[in-house]
Amino acid sequence: MCRYFALLLLLSQPCYAAVTDNLRWSLDASARLNNNIAANNTSRMYAFGLDTHKVFTSPYGDIGYAVAQLYFTKLSNQTPYPWLFNSENDSQFIIREAHLNYTTKSKWLPNIRLGHFTFPFGLEESIDTNGRLLDYYHGKNLGTKLDWGLGLNKVLNNVEYSMSYTLGGKDDPKSINNSYALSGRIGSLSHLDLIVGFSIFDAKIDNIQRKRVAIDLQYYWATWGIMAEVALGKDNKVQQQWRDEKYSLIELNKTSTNEQLKLYGQYILSDREGVNSTQQLINLGLSYQINGQLELSLSSRKQLNQPESAKKQNLLRFQLRYRY
Amino acid sequence: MKTFTIIMLLSLLGQNVYAVAFCSLRDPVAQIAQLYPNKTNQLSIVKTVDTQIRNQVKLALPSNDLHFSELGEHTLYVAMNNNEALGFVHVRSEQSQWGLVEIVWALDKNLKIKDFSFQRCRSPKKNIINDENFKNVFIGKSYQDLKALLSNDGVTANNLLLDKAKSAPELASVVLRCALKTLLITKILWGEELEEI
Repeated sequence: MCRYFALLLLLSQPCYAAVTDNLRWSLDASARLNNNIAANNTSRMYAFGLDTHKVFTSPYGDIGYAVAQLYFTKLSNQTPYPWLFNSENDSQFIIREAHLNYTTKSKWLPNIRLGHFTFPFGLEESIDTNGRLLDYYHGKNLGTKLDWGLGLNKVLNNVEYSMSYTLGGKDDPKSINNSYALSGRIGSLSHLDLIVGFSIFDAKIDNIQRKRVAIDLQYYWATWGIMAEVALGKDNKVQQQWRDEKYSLIELNKTSTNEQLKLYGQYILSDREGVNSTQQLINLGLSYQINGQLELSLSSRKQLNQPESAKKQNLLRFQLRYRY
Repeated sequence: MKTFTIIMLLSLLGQNVYAVAFCSLRDPVAQIAQLYPNKTNQLSIVKTVDTQIRNQVKLALPSNDLHFSELGEHTLYVAMNNNEALGFVHVRSEQSQWGLVEIVWALDKNLKIKDFSFQRCRSPKKNIINDENFKNVFIGKSYQDLKALLSNDGVTANNLLLDKAKSAPELASVVLRCALKTLLITKILWGEELEEI
């Protein structure tokens, strides 16, 4: 699939414009410090990568665009370490978004997306959290945040939709043990002040089957925003038995008038059948865009409930990000 | 995977830019069709707004500046009917007390305002966009025509526009500043390409 995707990329380049025409790219470097107070552990994560966006054109207009984000990521004393890594001090090349989106001329026919992209589901569909401390728990809720596959998407006069069939291999562009993921979201237009969306998800990833339905909502008034997501579903994580899962998030955010400073607070509630206590988390965070290149972010996560056999989550994070 | 990575890197070596900007239309196909119902497609031309362009804006419009997010790569869309250019579409952001206001500007081939709409505006007075008296002040106007609507402070609209804006004087000034910067930057940055179209 990788070779096929790369071939498509190269085949599409000779059309009209040179490779560098309509190309946006930036180098993106970030250093993240995590202080896990509950586990008495301090860890760091460094990422350096290339973030690109290219519009392909013909003499008759645009054909589509490609997004490619390739990052070298290094962990330092990160426990537990993310599934993409092999140890707490591992380093890996990681592909975040990498997809082509063929945009049809038709007002009705859908655009076609091919590659590695974020599941169209919930709040994450209209808010990109890649490389940020801000998180809507897409990966935790769905098993992974990004996957390789095919999607259809379109913005119509009053609604927009996106649906995908992906292989369930996460960073690997293949189906593993019959893995797959079907995901879709339909909602009101994502640039309006009031946005409402409905999402579905059905997948088998890492030999775990998950089914979800979700409603998401965003409302903006002046420099204030409120957003929420409620997802209901079930999975067979434990001994291949289906168990109900509920997940809900509500966020209040405030942006300065020049949009340099953003503050947010999240309350997250998740409930699993068979687990005695409902997990309740509070996230407080801010990001400050010092200039066009440099951004500073801080976040604090605290668990409100007492888990059965572990300490309450208590995590402080700091990130400095430079884009050139 | 290695083959893919190498090909991706080789194919992406190109010009340097300030930052990846997402100052463009959320969906060009649908939004340009509303401004140009006869268009069959659109052609994107991406160029860089750098400090040199910023300084030219400051020189032409004293007391004005570009928001930091307005530096970087920006897109001008050419609305096409088959291979004929119908006009241009450009989105610009202007700072206001309600955050950034994003305005979609449709320009004719003589760089006069054809139409405009808010892509994002969180002002409670945003319905001013539906007032024909207000909108007609801008439509058909060039950069020089609109510059005459600036008051002496260089940032607020004069009474010719404020009379039409009624209860939304601040938003009217935001729209005027955005229109002036759009027309000026389009001329400076994309002038060569537009002459060939």
